[in-house]
Amino acid sequence: MGFLVTTLIFFLAGVVASLSVRLCCNGGPSINLLRFTLVVTATVCCWMMWAIVYLAQLKPLIVPILSEGE
Amino acid sequence: MLPIKLNADKSPFQRTYANQIKRCGEMARKLRFFGEQMTKADISPSAMPVTRTHIDLDDLEVKLGELEAELIEVNSNGEKLQRTFNELLEYKLVLQKAGEFFYSAQGHATAQQREIEAHQVGDGSLDSPLLLEQEMLADPSKQVKLGFVSGLVPKEKAMAFERILFRATRGNMFLKQVAIDDPVTDPVSGEKVGKNVFVVFYSGERAKTKILKICEAFGANRYPFTEDVGKQMQMIDEVSWKISELKTTIDVGLIHRDSILKNIGYQFEQWNHLVRREKSIYHTLNMLSLDVTKKCLVAEGWSPVFATSQVQDALQRATYDSNSQVGSIFQVLHTNESPPTYFQTNKFTSAFQEIVDAYGVAKYQEANPGVYTIITFPFLFAVMFGDWGHGICLLLTTLYFIIREKKLSSQKLGDIMEMTFGGRYVIMMMAIFSIYTGLIYNEFFSVPFELFGKSAYACRDSSCRDATTEGLIKVRPAYPFGVDPKWHGTRSELPFLNSLKMKMSILLGVAQMNLGIVLSYFNAKFFRNNLNIWYQFVPQLIFLNSLFGYLSLLIIVKWCTGSKADLYHVMIYMFLSPTDDLGENQLFPGQKTLQLVLLLLALISVPWMLFPKPILLKKQHQERHQGQSYTMLQSTEEMLELDHGHSSHGHGNEEFEFSEVFVHQLIHTIEFVLGAVSNTASYLRLWALSLAHSELSSVFYEKVLLLAWGFNNIIILIIGFIVFIFATVGVLLVMETLSAFLHALRLHWVEFQNKFYEGDGYKFSPFSFALLAEDED
Repeated sequence: MGFLVTTLIFFLAGVVASLSVRLCCNGGPSINLLRFTLVVTATVCCWMMWAIVYLAQLKPLIVPILSEGE
Repeated sequence: MLPIKLNADKSPFQRTYANQIKRCGEMARKLRFFGEQMTKADISPSAMPVTRTHIDLDDLEVKLGELEAELIEVNSNGEKLQRTFNELLEYKLVLQKAGEFFYSAQGHATAQQREIEAHQVGDGSLDSPLLLEQEMLADPSKQVKLGFVSGLVPKEKAMAFERILFRATRGNMFLKQVAIDDPVTDPVSGEKVGKNVFVVFYSGERAKTKILKICEAFGANRYPFTEDVGKQMQMIDEVSWKISELKTTIDVGLIHRDSILKNIGYQFEQWNHLVRREKSIYHTLNMLSLDVTKKCLVAEGWSPVFATSQVQDALQRATYDSNSQVGSIFQVLHTNESPPTYFQTNKFTSAFQEIVDAYGVAKYQEANPGVYTIITFPFLFAVMFGDWGHGICLLLTTLYFIIREKKLSSQKLGDIMEMTFGGRYVIMMMAIFSIYTGLIYNEFFSVPFELFGKSAYACRDSSCRDATTEGLIKVRPAYPFGVDPKWHGTRSELPFLNSLKMKMSILLGVAQMNLGIVLSYFNAKFFRNNLNIWYQFVPQLIFLNSLFGYLSLLIIVKWCTGSKADLYHVMIYMFLSPTDDLGENQLFPGQKTLQLVLLLLALISVPWMLFPKPILLKKQHQERHQGQSYTMLQSTEEMLELDHGHSSHGHGNEEFEFSEVFVHQLIHTIEFVLGAVSNTASYLRLWALSLAHSELSSVFYEKVLLLAWGFNNIIILIIGFIVFIFATVGVLLVMETLSAFLHALRLHWVEFQNKFYEGDGYKFSPFSFALLAEDED
């Protein structure tokens, strides 16, 4: 689907998550900030993991060599 | 509110309320005694409808004393009665058995007598010696008087008893023993022992004393016995009557004791609670100091700013409730002491905060790593655990704990269960992230699935001839989410995955360490420590990123361009021969220049970290002491407080040892520089553990489950399945979880936190009645 498109999807998911957390359970400025931080951290971590694995497979240097008997 | 000890210099016995605490301790002892008595009598303290009658402590003390005396008396009387009862039971047995014996012996004797008489009649007056014998037999006064001792001896000592009696009396005794079938309660020890009834016949006084001594030594209880048959029956009747009478007395005694204990039981919890509260109140009062006029108590303590109004309200209420004429005064003090650290956490965040606090409680007002730990800790765990099948198992287990949270939190669980239950939210986060990383690594109990579209690899041609030699080729764009499923089980799987995971570990590690350094910037900005910003944060950032940030960049560029450059080579020769031509290791134009620049930046950042800070600190110190400093507002406040002589604790060393500060900075610099390399390498454990997990998981799948499947036998399949389940749960779900937990924890505590965390604060632990109950238990 393309690197940029999926990155955009992750970004939008993060925005949606933080908005929904803010809208559903509003608990005061410091708690909201905490929840926002958590959502952003989670989104960034998940995106990084996906991006690393995706980029590693874009232009691979080795290919799968099947083992005998498959 | 956290009270500060003002009386720390007085010994515990000199303090004002030592007597009160002793009284409370006495009362607690008495209550414990009652508790033991109640458990012995199998009465549990029941909560009668709690009548909130206010119980005065002095009245309670008197009442407890009375109850204790009464209970002790009832107990000792009961014991005496029980002992007499058991003795009587034994006596009855002796009477019965010995009576039987004498009766049968009598029967034999009369039979023999008749025989002899018959014989005598038959023989006539032939033999005078016989006559003489007879006369001797018939003459009672010339008869040797046999005495006897009757009683009970424990069965196991019976043989030894007999032997010693025999030896002591040189065989001049006759012992008859009869075993009793049921065990008898021994009056002295109170336990049930198997016993024999014995009768010993002896002649002479000396033998008697010896036998009596031996009986005492063997713990054989002696009971008197009469030869007269009529009297025997009378004795038996008397003893039976006494036994039944005693039984009723003992029963009445027990009922009385039980009723006392029940009465105690109703109020036991309440009394216990009250005594504990009073004791803790006196302990706290001991921490206060008496005013000069000895008329009021002064207390110093910490309380959170947001709770100020609550504290004032509470003090007002206390004044009102206790009808005191003088109100309590609440005043905010200014002090140089560092306050305790208090983070308000709920049941979700408290577990993560505890993880951070286990390493060190945050210094007052420094940045709390716990915020990021809530996400990064489960994330790093999941990078090492990565299997969505196992993740689902973990999630189900922890959901069970969370759903039954209310019920389980009031129960008392074992130690391990307690820890698992306390960390249920942590494990839940770990499981959720594990499902995500499992989907990315594409492992479901080590089996890959094509969930996100078609795999990118296919055979070169339709016959797939060289699939095992040359391999597949990439025919479609890269697999959109996660590792391509075609890799699993291939020969080149490990080289590919190892390369991927090692580079991933470096990238994640550099990201987390950069986050740590940025947090140190925010710390420095908050505490208005410009030195730390310019001469610690900036050089650290430059050093780490010019080396390992550059490495991360190279990794990403290599992936994007598909170049065959050898990154080890590039990094090493960047240091060894930076001016050399890169040749085929060139990833982008201008790389050589960039590398030279970065190398120079790294080199100057080391002395930048090391020298300026101590020198500037020394300059600051000199300025401060010559009273020429206008810049820092804090210093003038400090001087004012010095004048008032307010704080009794000194505020830091007034002497400034330049060598000490310099060495401190040197150590810090070396730690950072060497740590940059070692910490980055330390993140490779993410690769190592994830490799171990996936290998173990695939071994269990292939060598247990598939092997069992291959036999085509249902029994072997079932056995194989059970072995697979046990191995998965025991090794992968328990051991690997603990292992990955531990390693993720280490990465947080050391590699992440040593970039910014001081962690030398102390926790805010306010006085609380609610915590008392937990303490005692």
